[in-house]
Amino acid sequence: MDWKLRRFGQAAFTVWAVMTLAFFLTRMMPGNPVDAFVAQVGPQLDNPQEAYEMAEIYMNINPEAPMHVAYWNYMTSMAVGDMGQSMSQNAPVAQIMAEAIPWTLFVMSWAIFIGFAVGISLGALMAYWEGTKFDTVLTGYATIITSIPFYVLALLLLITFAYRLGWFPTSGRRPEGVTAGFNLPFIFGIIHHAALPVFSMFVASGVASLTMRGNSIRVLGEDYLRVARLRGLPDRTIAVRYIARNAILPMYTGLMIAIGSMFGGAVVLEEIFTYRGMGYYMIQAVRARDYPLMMGAFTIITIAVVIALLVADLTYGKIDPRAGNEGNDAF
Amino acid sequence: MTITGSDATADAPEEDVAIRLRDTSVYFGMDRGRSMVLNGVDADIRRGEVLGVIGESGSGKSMFASALLDAVPEPGVTTGEVTYYPEEGEPVPVTDLSKAELRSLRWEEISMVFQGAMSSFNPVVTIRTHFVETLSAHDYDVDRGLARATDLLADLYLDPERMLESYPHELSGGMKQRVLIALSLVLDPEVLVMDEPTAALDLLMQRSIISLLEEIKEKHDLTIVFITHDLPLVADLADRLAVLYAFEFAEIGPAEEVLETPAHPYTRALLNATPNLSAPLEEMRPIEGESPDPVNIPKGCSYHPRCPLADEECQQIDPGPYDAGADHDVHCHHWEQSIEDLDVAFEETVDVGTRPSAAGRASGEPVVSLSDVEVTFGSANDGWFDFGDDETVTAVDGVSFDIYENDVLVLVGESGCGKTTLGKTAVGLQKPTGGTVEYRGRDVWEGASGSSLSDDEARRALQIVHQDPGSSLNSHQRVRTILEQPLKRWHPDLDGNDRRERILGMLEYVGITPPGDYVDRYPHQLSGGEKQRVALIRSMLINPDLILADEAVSALDVSLRVGMMDMMIDLQDSFNTSFLAVSHDLSNARYLAEKTGGRIGVMYLGELVEIGPAEQIIHDPQHPYTQALRWATPELGSETEETESPIRSIDIPDPKNPPSGCRYHTRCPEAREVCVEREPELVDVGEGASQPTACLRAQDDPDYRMSESITDDV
Amino acid sequence: MTDDHTETRKRDDTNRMDELVPDDPRDRVAGETVRSDGGTVDSPFETTSSVEETRGDRLDRFLEGYARTPWSIMRQDWRALVGLSILGVYLLVATLGVYLVEPSHPADGPQLLGAFQNWEYPLGTTSSGRDVLADAVHSTPSILIMMASGALFTIGVGTAFGVVAGYKGGMVDTVLSTVTDVFINIPGLPLVIVLATLLSDWINNPVALGVLLAIAAWAGLARAIRSQVLTIRNESFIESARAIDLSTRWILTKEILPQLMPYIVVNMVNAARTIIFAAVALYFLGVLPYSDANWGVMLNTAYEAGALYRPEAYHWLLVPMVAISGIAVGLILLAQSLDRVFNPRARARHQGGEEEEPMEPETDDTTDVMQV
Repeated sequence: MDWKLRRFGQAAFTVWAVMTLAFFLTRMMPGNPVDAFVAQVGPQLDNPQEAYEMAEIYMNINPEAPMHVAYWNYMTSMAVGDMGQSMSQNAPVAQIMAEAIPWTLFVMSWAIFIGFAVGISLGALMAYWEGTKFDTVLTGYATIITSIPFYVLALLLLITFAYRLGWFPTSGRRPEGVTAGFNLPFIFGIIHHAALPVFSMFVASGVASLTMRGNSIRVLGEDYLRVARLRGLPDRTIAVRYIARNAILPMYTGLMIAIGSMFGGAVVLEEIFTYRGMGYYMIQAVRARDYPLMMGAFTIITIAVVIALLVADLTYGKIDPRAGNEGNDAF
Repeated sequence: MTITGSDATADAPEEDVAIRLRDTSVYFGMDRGRSMVLNGVDADIRRGEVLGVIGESGSGKSMFASALLDAVPEPGVTTGEVTYYPEEGEPVPVTDLSKAELRSLRWEEISMVFQGAMSSFNPVVTIRTHFVETLSAHDYDVDRGLARATDLLADLYLDPERMLESYPHELSGGMKQRVLIALSLVLDPEVLVMDEPTAALDLLMQRSIISLLEEIKEKHDLTIVFITHDLPLVADLADRLAVLYAFEFAEIGPAEEVLETPAHPYTRALLNATPNLSAPLEEMRPIEGESPDPVNIPKGCSYHPRCPLADEECQQIDPGPYDAGADHDVHCHHWEQSIEDLDVAFEETVDVGTRPSAAGRASGEPVVSLSDVEVTFGSANDGWFDFGDDETVTAVDGVSFDIYENDVLVLVGESGCGKTTLGKTAVGLQKPTGGTVEYRGRDVWEGASGSSLSDDEARRALQIVHQDPGSSLNSHQRVRTILEQPLKRWHPDLDGNDRRERILGMLEYVGITPPGDYVDRYPHQLSGGEKQRVALIRSMLINPDLILADEAVSALDVSLRVGMMDMMIDLQDSFNTSFLAVSHDLSNARYLAEKTGGRIGVMYLGELVEIGPAEQIIHDPQHPYTQALRWATPELGSETEETESPIRSIDIPDPKNPPSGCRYHTRCPEAREVCVEREPELVDVGEGASQPTACLRAQDDPDYRMSESITDDV
Repeated sequence: MTDDHTETRKRDDTNRMDELVPDDPRDRVAGETVRSDGGTVDSPFETTSSVEETRGDRLDRFLEGYARTPWSIMRQDWRALVGLSILGVYLLVATLGVYLVEPSHPADGPQLLGAFQNWEYPLGTTSSGRDVLADAVHSTPSILIMMASGALFTIGVGTAFGVVAGYKGGMVDTVLSTVTDVFINIPGLPLVIVLATLLSDWINNPVALGVLLAIAAWAGLARAIRSQVLTIRNESFIESARAIDLSTRWILTKEILPQLMPYIVVNMVNAARTIIFAAVALYFLGVLPYSDANWGVMLNTAYEAGALYRPEAYHWLLVPMVAISGIAVGLILLAQSLDRVFNPRARARHQGGEEEEPMEPETDDTTDVMQV
């Protein structure tokens, strides 16, 4: 119980640290966005005071206020969900993000799920046929797929399946001319648009399968497996309850770290597919030097990852009876 | 009787045989050649008997066990005949069965308990699942089967409900081992094969399990094959004993006869090499030489390179079985001479004097002095994010003792009793949370920052040799580097060649020859005994005053332990070092302490309950716990009579929440109400030599005499 | 045989054959006669040598440990050979290639010439007439520098945090672990993008950029190393070293670090891959300022020029893709084989050759799922 509490505290601490970092970067770095903004906007206005007010509207930071007051105001506005105003999109950052979040979550959760499911299955098969041609070929395949960056795969998929073959849309996130809602064409359209981004993350299956292979081979040598065979358990039980469960559990930490980097990868992926999720807006913001949107997207992506890791951590205890009491290793 | 050589047939045997092996071999194909790990063995296992199979590690005993179920791990190959005779019905040729037939033979007819109980359970499912899946895999009725499991668990003094709901990691080693026994019996097999079932357990637990086995065997009409390296352990339990040497049986016969008049020279040597409580120390000696490589088994009698009686015949002709008495077969050409000429230690009971007692030397100033030492783990030193309710364990609770020049003190107790922690505290590797540790009158922790001593002199003087030779040396450093470090630190004046000379000399001194070969080796290229010696001389090189030997011999083979302890004693003589040894094994403790005239201290749940000269502790123990340990230590002598278990509960109480008053009162057969409330002090109750004991009964306390017994009729 | 219920870590030295075959008899000591003369006369304590140790001896030992043995192991592993060859080619390109191939400028050649059509421009040209081969070649030095600095930073910080937190424990551990955990929770690329955007004035050279990219990569390694150190710290040989009073420095660098070496080296190679992937991604997104040619910039310009739907521009896109994937293959193969170099069993085999142990199954302990 106390471990969970501790884990929550840690997540909260991380969010706080990231927000503080955001404040620091926006306000305190030499040549920071706030100063730059005032310097840029100020001369065009009659009243220089107005520039300060605008800075506060856009970035939640009043350049005139003392640092601790500015910090306090910044944190409290963030806490109530006010993330400032986007300059390029002309809308509140929070609103843009709220609209973008589900799309990113949708694509990324499928990408993670498919990547790991495929990787784990392949790894198990490789372990089962350890030392055979099949194993050699798959190991080679896994090595090669691991050495391809996901954005390169994304470009290749885009060229082949979208531009050349025309099977998938080249950009966008939802079908045109279909009413949004719970109807078949719309759902199909969404999946159709998400397919290529999801499969670009396929590269994750390479490392996962190699790890799974190693773990399975290790479990095959365990005493309890020998005892299980002597007890006459059916092969299915041994494969699922004994080998698979024990081989997958140690990969959990890796999976959690992968969640973080895959969400990071969303930035590149969404840009390539013009898929308007959090990452897409972040890149647009960078290009337009729209700092409020950029920091907002960064903060939101981080919070999403923090929550994902928190959930993953807390559920780990449900799968592995040994975790929980000594959560130190699990988080 | 049983071993009839080549004329084996599959005909029904005359005696009531459960399993018959004929010319059974197991081999592994390896780069170096064929590795014979079981070499043409013949044996009959009779229905309803307990057959004890004794062998050192690397004698092929695990392969023997596996062959009985045709369960030799890949890529091992089993040849020859293994036939199972059910009580009714046709004989079953075990080695020729199909996969499905094997599946119904194993566990339903012949079941097995492995050595590694710790790792025999799937860590991610409950114990109940283990039972249920076994029952349903064999199409047994699950409800009836679980009822049987509940009975079995209860018979093994376990709480069935709690066990079934637990995950493996929640159980202690002793519990796991007993649950594994229950699991192996849940399908009501005829034969139970046990491969080192108690090797990883404490003596008290081992002995308790052995007693339980006897009951279970009667109740369920079992045939048991009990395989172990520990001869005294099975001596009482077994009806017949078989001694394995170099992948063959050396001798097989009725237990008493094998123990009293062993006919094979190896059996006799093994008996002499086994430390025990009653044999005179002079008779104990290690076996010379080493057992053969399975790839290259000597021609003729495989024991001839180590045998004092070997002649040409032994080198050429494999000794067939000779009758050494009714029902007693021995594979030795010279078995009669062996009985006449080779002594067996425990036959004589004359105790010869040892070195002057340590008490005699205790006159001087103590080297190390502990007073009221307390060590607590798990306190809130975690800082910020630790809002847990910390569960503290008091590993050592107010212990005092002194160690003098040239002294030997052996701490004995079950695992988790705090003996190792106490030892480490005494040599300044563990900071006590209370009390003081003094080296020659100076508090060693005075002025120390963090977890290391600042007193150089004390740091040099207090050294440690670890239990596990495998991890006591850094696997990434050569022997030379390992041994150079202490010299570089404490003798910076020596240059590389000086150090080399000194190291070579030391290696040679402890019998590692040629030392020039060994200094460039990595630890994994050394044998267990060699690693242990390297670890020992690493500490010795800086001439310490006190060495903590933490289970220094437990990891070694039985036949090597005496040799290692002799070497420690020898080094002590040469270098005037004192030893503080930690052991869970009373026989080892006795050997080391009695031979040097040292003391034994008995610990229970963090407290020192009795301390005194080895002889008195062994022969006249005062504390009921010492008496229990004494009971649990198997005896080889013929005078062994089965006694009632002197403990009321097999499992140790949770050290996080130790019992009130006398901590032993939950298990003590003599506990009375006062023991629950009052914590006894260490008071000298010895007659003659000092023997402080923390027991109200031993102290003849008036409160104890007045108090009511709390044991409900043990 | 022991009463030790704590499971000793399953280490690489429990090799599988040992478990199958009952203990190897070589693991048995001859019950050699123990000298029982009890004499102190010939105490080896006092021995000193008459010969001085020469500098040559020391150099020889150093070479044996750090050069000859690793090489003789790697020589026999095709992965190492292929991996090293690939990296060697990249290194050659970065050092010699830049002198052999003239740097390219816009309008040097025809527009969008295909690959293998004109030997003046073997890999074709871009839409602005730049030589693709020259661009690819001249990208290599800065990418390699970035990779090296990023990998070293990752390893340096990750190892330092992990080892110190694990060995020191207490408050130091709490602080370092908290910092590590915060960094693990922050997704790498977005953080780097934000920092690169805001700090663009400071990141004007490959070294700084490498370090910046590594900021997001070290934390996972630090945590993994910490948990390994926690285990190693309790090993008996560390306790012995403390009893002998070896310096903390020695314990950290000579007792603990070698145990972690396989892990660290493999992770360094993996980190190098991550850094390259991230760097190219950022250039591709156009987030980083650039002055000269760069694989990521090539991808970016090709993408912007519509190479995705213009088959005549495919070569422009493919060359940087192959360049990135090629170096990644080399790094992965190297990581897989390096695993073995630091394994003491493998070392011993290549020194005396007196032991013939069955080859261990490949362990994937050291690879991790961190990189995507």
